[in-house]
Amino acid sequence: MNDEHKKKVNQKYEEQLQKGERFWPDAIYKDLLVSFALFILLIGLATFVGVHPEPKVDPTDATYVPRPEWYFLFLFEFLKYFPGALEWVGAAVIPGILVVALMFLPLYDKNPFRHNSKRIFAVGLMSVIFSGIVTLTLMAATTMSSLVAVILGVLVAALMFFSLYKEVSFLQGGIRKSVLWVMTIAIVGIVGVSYQQTAAMASDEEEVHIASSIAEKMVLGQDLYSIQCVECHGADGEGGEITITAADGSEEKLPVKSISSNDEMYTRNDGSLFDIIAYGQPNLGMPPFGGAYGGELNPSEIEYIVTFMRYTWDDRAEVPADAVASAIPVLAEGEVPSYEIHVSAVAKRYCVSCHRDGKENNDYIMDSYAGVVSGGKNAPNVVAGDLNSILLQTIQGTELTGSDGEIIHVMPPNGKPIKDEYIDIFIRWVEAGMPESADEAAALSVDFAPADEAEPVVEETPSE
Amino acid sequence: MFKNIYAWLDERLGFDDLYKGLLDRPEPHGNWWNTLGSASLFLFIMQGATGIFLTVYYTPSPDHAYDSIQYIMNGVAFGWLIRGIHHWGASLMVLVVFIHMLRTFFSASYKYPRELTWIIGSFLFLLTLGMGFTGYLLPFNQRAYWATVVATNIGGVVPGVGPFILRALRGGADVSALTLSRFFSAHIWMLPAALAALIGVHLYLIMRHGESAYPDADD
Repeated sequence: MNDEHKKKVNQKYEEQLQKGERFWPDAIYKDLLVSFALFILLIGLATFVGVHPEPKVDPTDATYVPRPEWYFLFLFEFLKYFPGALEWVGAAVIPGILVVALMFLPLYDKNPFRHNSKRIFAVGLMSVIFSGIVTLTLMAATTMSSLVAVILGVLVAALMFFSLYKEVSFLQGGIRKSVLWVMTIAIVGIVGVSYQQTAAMASDEEEVHIASSIAEKMVLGQDLYSIQCVECHGADGEGGEITITAADGSEEKLPVKSISSNDEMYTRNDGSLFDIIAYGQPNLGMPPFGGAYGGELNPSEIEYIVTFMRYTWDDRAEVPADAVASAIPVLAEGEVPSYEIHVSAVAKRYCVSCHRDGKENNDYIMDSYAGVVSGGKNAPNVVAGDLNSILLQTIQGTELTGSDGEIIHVMPPNGKPIKDEYIDIFIRWVEAGMPESADEAAALSVDFAPADEAEPVVEETPSE
Repeated sequence: MFKNIYAWLDERLGFDDLYKGLLDRPEPHGNWWNTLGSASLFLFIMQGATGIFLTVYYTPSPDHAYDSIQYIMNGVAFGWLIRGIHHWGASLMVLVVFIHMLRTFFSASYKYPRELTWIIGSFLFLLTLGMGFTGYLLPFNQRAYWATVVATNIGGVVPGVGPFILRALRGGADVSALTLSRFFSAHIWMLPAALAALIGVHLYLIMRHGESAYPDADD
């Protein structure tokens, strides 16, 4: 660049300053307006969208699909085209060259002209790169097909290009305006549709429960406790006895001490409870539950169990007011219990630990309404209106003989019956005709309609 | 009275000179795209302010990072707002800085005499991305952890220096407590200090050369 050109540039700039504006207040009000708009946008996003909760780190969970922040997505997508030994080309060489090229752009771009019509190559190249970034980001972030992503990327770049290029000969006046509008609407439309599709797909994925308050942690912890711990430790952590089968086939009975006593709660802090659940107690017959040691719980889940134990059994813990929801609801006088509110809560806490898939339970799976009402080898275990139903008899301490001649044991099998008020819930539920939802139960509360489909207690229904 | 105070202060601080030098400058006719630079600065200040508040409760250790953020979100008054702004501000800042860079490119504002402004600016862009990268690990949740594992792995595939880059980023063979404290110190000290210093140079250069004029057909 020669001195003459520099002089020309400076002269031109002086002229533009003469017919220009003042920084204060002409330019700064635009700056402040835009910054203020961004500020409002940020508060809106923080308030109405928030930060998506994520589970705690679990370094052992190799199935987790990592996702970088959205502005690095294009780089990850780009890397997919450089598999194996070539990965470093895509990871370091090409991005490296682009970064250096971007940084020192003014040093090698010797084109003295500034208007877009006189730097077609530079503008074209940047549009292509930008289009590539948009395309790759769309491919990584949405479920749209690569073709749609490419079309969108090209559209975005073209829109940018044409809105900058006011002097393209065939694009003037009304044509130009309509082309820009059509392109904008097309982009918004495609992005909208694909966003909807992506959102629909995301909601299909298994939702991870992440507790934010102590009450939520207690609820989640209680559910986990019911499934993972009740079998050996009892529904209230009272302990019991377990039978261990040694390698040589010999059986040994081991006592399980109470884990809900003050002794236990006062001498173990949350950290040591967490560690015991994660590592197990191999010498005492407790298997490890932490994912890192072969169990099926991740750190967040163990934490929920610990929270549940602490706030339920430690008499020093101050249970937050909103945590009452985690308790089993108390039945009022004359109220008809429903499966939804009452029975499922009791079953979850006292029964599901054994009455779930993969346990020895005569195929009586109690985690759903259908399972409770009609599941099991001796189905139906419970009949509306029949107070001699198998379920009611066993929880009240009566041993029965099933259809196949096998003994149906007293439930729960550890010899410690569930509390009378819970037995009462079951009895009143059966009496009222086993309503599923709270609404049905409420309707029944008014008039006690006796169930009409009462059938014999033990039916000859051999089932798998 | 106020006039006297103002005169006394002005004599020592030089408000009038500041006004003339900083605010009452002539400028070419700008357009709305030219506001993105100041918007980037605004977002940097927002990130700085909210970030400082977050460090009050945040603990950069693997055992406590997650819980301390849970506490910020649920226990601290308006903690959710501060973290929400910081979270979204990061995304927005990358976006705004990137569009600002595109604007500068398409209006060819990087040409004489503003070459150095562009070079400094591209460093600012890279530092902004670095802030995003290091800040992503700090919540120490699944997403943060695994994204960092993958991203640092990518650094490790470069032939020759790869293993060194990997160890330098992670502070060891694995993503661990050391990685977290490294990323934390980079996120709250090294990168912001570099950003602030370079923003100073960037602003000085803008004041020295003035805002560039939008090119017309003759340029």
